[in-house]
Amino acid sequence: MNPLIFTTILMTVLLGTMIVMTSSHWLMIWIGFEMNLLAIIPILMKKYNPRTMEASTKYFLTQATASMLLMMAIIINLMHSGQWTITKVFNPTASIIMTSALAMKLGLTPFHFWVPEVTQGISLTSGLILLTWQKLAPMSILYQISPSINLNILLTMAVLSILVGGWGGLNQTQLRKIMAYSSIAHMGWMTAVLVYNPTLTMLNMLIYIMMTLTMFMLFIHSSSTTTLSLSHTWNKTPLTTTLILITLLSMGGLPPLSGFMPKWMIIQELTKNSSIILPTLMAIMALLNLYFYMRLTYSTSLTMFPSTNNMKMKWQFETKRITLLPPLIVMSSLLLPLTPMLSILD
Amino acid sequence: MMTYIVFILSVIFVVSFVGFSSKPSPIYGGLVLIVSGGVGCGIIMNFGGSFLGLMVFLIYLGGMLVVFGYTTAMATEQYPEVWVSNTTVMGVFLLGLLMEVMLVLYVLKGEEVGVVFKFSGVGDWAIYDTGDSGVFSEEIMGVAALYSYGAWVVIVTGWSLLVGVLVILEVTRGD
Repeated sequence: MNPLIFTTILMTVLLGTMIVMTSSHWLMIWIGFEMNLLAIIPILMKKYNPRTMEASTKYFLTQATASMLLMMAIIINLMHSGQWTITKVFNPTASIIMTSALAMKLGLTPFHFWVPEVTQGISLTSGLILLTWQKLAPMSILYQISPSINLNILLTMAVLSILVGGWGGLNQTQLRKIMAYSSIAHMGWMTAVLVYNPTLTMLNMLIYIMMTLTMFMLFIHSSSTTTLSLSHTWNKTPLTTTLILITLLSMGGLPPLSGFMPKWMIIQELTKNSSIILPTLMAIMALLNLYFYMRLTYSTSLTMFPSTNNMKMKWQFETKRITLLPPLIVMSSLLLPLTPMLSILD
Repeated sequence: MMTYIVFILSVIFVVSFVGFSSKPSPIYGGLVLIVSGGVGCGIIMNFGGSFLGLMVFLIYLGGMLVVFGYTTAMATEQYPEVWVSNTTVMGVFLLGLLMEVMLVLYVLKGEEVGVVFKFSGVGDWAIYDTGDSGVFSEEIMGVAALYSYGAWVVIVTGWSLLVGVLVILEVTRGD
């Protein structure tokens, strides 16, 4: 793609999310979502093969439907409260419709079906933008309307998302689909605590973005999109096998690493609000997630995965220079002692 | 009839939307869009917005739809789909028509209609001339406000349109 046009389109994606996050008028928020959607389509379609075109079409259809539902909720809110400012959504019908629209944009169950298919059909860099940057805008709106969200609907969607994200990722060997299911599960964790303490949602989003960024960059660095291809990294750069191990365990939420911080805080917040069964279920279902991360680490760093002899040498392409990879890796694994700094997110 | 003109126009509006969402060939979709544009203009005019209604006719129908019609005419196929040529298209059209008819009967018969939100019968659509807002017409003031207080909206929408064109060119360029 022409670099000037690519830069313009990328800046429009950023502008769209910024407009969503900083507007106080519902119409501007909708405009921001539409601008974001419009501009990310050519980014998803960077290579012109039928796979990417199908993936971007699916993405466009689901997100456009979600924008339409959002517009309907905005208009119902306008009818019942007579004003366009972003505060609580005063009408329960509008609140439910808006929550479903934002859940469709995030990829929560039962609207999660597009996430693995779209993520699989596009290149690794586009998938990175899809799973990290695109989650910021809907999550910021959910944060702003959190006092008026129907608790039952949101918690049902959250728990089902964690279940689907864990269970659906079990049979996958394609790395992009694994990351997609991981995204669904993390979105479930984030929205579970939204009504109780929205600051923890933001914390979880921050740490999730860091870890997903790290994982995707490690995949881009070794140009691998399948488990088999990833398992050959011991051949190319043995150091990245250890880094993949640490980051994956952090994503699974194991204690001394920073991925444990959001899960710990969320479970603590939920138990403070006297729900015991819910966080227990969520923690148990996060084990499913941990299982397929561990399977990846097993094949990548802990064993030399069996393959035929002529495949053991990986083709040495010119090493991509990935900026910020070392700091990202450090941040996504060693942030746990900084938990008391959580108060700055308020 | 004139009291309920907005209601009638909005029924025609919905029927023409059903007409093009049942996906006949784009030319017939454009035909129905002309009807829906004209009827929409009528609805806006009934609320006092003569300037905006005329702008719909001029810019939307006379500019954008004409260009759309020409491009579709260039890209058309030998036997385009009409509403009655394909069972699926006709089925969807009839289904939409049926739902609209049922809704209209419900509105005409009853006092309150509460589908997603409540409105009280046909009376809600009748226009009452509620007082004068002085010498100025409200909607021209609205357009003026768009360009003064709403400069940011104009910038954002203008940028989206430009990026829309760039995106369409990128997507259809292919390899």
